[in-house]
Amino acid sequence: MKDEEIDDVLKATARGPHVLSAETLQHVSDSIKTSLRPVRPLPPTWLLAGGLVLVCAAVALVGATRAGFYGIEKMDLLQRALILSTLVALAWVAGIGFVHEMVPGSRRRAAPGMLLAIVSGLLVGLFSLLFRDYQTSDFFSAGIACLLTGLLFAAPTALLAWLLLRRGFAVNPVSAGLVAGTVAGLAGLGMLELHCQNFQAAHVLVWHIAVIPVSAAAGAFVAWALRLRASSSDRERVTRK
Amino acid sequence: MPADSNLEILMAQYQQGDFNAAAVLIDRLSPQLHRFFVAQFASRADADDLLQETWLRIHKVRHTYRPNEPVLPWFYAIARRVRVDHYRKSGRTTARQQALEEMPTIAAPISAESGRLDDLAALLAPLSEGEREVIEMLKVEGMSLEEAARATSSTVGSVKQKAHRAYKKLRKTLSATAFRKGHSGGPT
Repeated sequence: MKDEEIDDVLKATARGPHVLSAETLQHVSDSIKTSLRPVRPLPPTWLLAGGLVLVCAAVALVGATRAGFYGIEKMDLLQRALILSTLVALAWVAGIGFVHEMVPGSRRRAAPGMLLAIVSGLLVGLFSLLFRDYQTSDFFSAGIACLLTGLLFAAPTALLAWLLLRRGFAVNPVSAGLVAGTVAGLAGLGMLELHCQNFQAAHVLVWHIAVIPVSAAAGAFVAWALRLRASSSDRERVTRK
Repeated sequence: MPADSNLEILMAQYQQGDFNAAAVLIDRLSPQLHRFFVAQFASRADADDLLQETWLRIHKVRHTYRPNEPVLPWFYAIARRVRVDHYRKSGRTTARQQALEEMPTIAAPISAESGRLDDLAALLAPLSEGEREVIEMLKVEGMSLEEAARATSSTVGSVKQKAHRAYKKLRKTLSATAFRKGHSGGPT
């Protein structure tokens, strides 16, 4: 059987009118009539994504101002230019991804998991090229401190990003949480690059970049938990009725 | 003027608080949204509830539609979310049991006597949830691959893959039907 024949069967099957009762349509109309007033559409994607990049930059700068700009001072010009421009570009891409997650029917070029993999992979590649000190002193103690510091700054970024896009509507909250976490993780990583002067390749590749997937996982988990709580409270409300 | 751009204009007017535009949108889109729910194994009563819930949600988040963007993916993306929430609320087990109980009545794929496909839900019964919604959007509602991808929050490649798998299953089912029809209708 050819594809065209299947098309014909599908069209013939769906051709019949799908009738709805006038009562149902009237009920729908009545339910929205009372609260109908003009609304302002969401701003364009570029504006919201730009806002997210600014939030990331602001949080990273505030963090580094408090903790010190030791990392950026120790870097050479090439490292500074490549790392900062890459972080801004990735924050822009992830920001667009987050905006698309918050606007129903948006075009998606990569799944959130793929976006996370691309962001992390690119950073692994870049840092492998730029950091050539292969010593591993204080690997765990210094690493965990950096990971926690990065996450400490990722948390307010996620909150601010959520506030910026609070008028949006996530059709898949877990995906939206994952992308929000990726954006926030980039802010945490940015803060670490400005502040941390430990340039050992293993430290930067493992603990600095780990901020992004850990933050993304935390974002997805929080969204999942919030959704679960909302579902439970809805169920309880229905049961009480 | 194409029908879709009319919908976009109506949606923009709805955002500006025009009740007539909202009423026209409700009249035009409700039947296809209702069919979308029925094709996903919702009972008629469930589909009525889902439709009302979808319009309430659409009304609440109407500011998230951006003028000049395709309107159907926006509606279907919200309808999908409402359907998922509905099954989540009613509990996964209950929903699955219900779906299984309803399948023999609404999803008997092929009428054995006539070999004719009774309705869309029956025809799409052998497909997975994702394949069903993609086929419905592409072949019944006439959406493009790009629009179906937007509505399902996936990539065009993923939609193509689901459509390909769905056609494989449909070909198998329809060929079996044609075989049975030929077999029962042949000389005894």
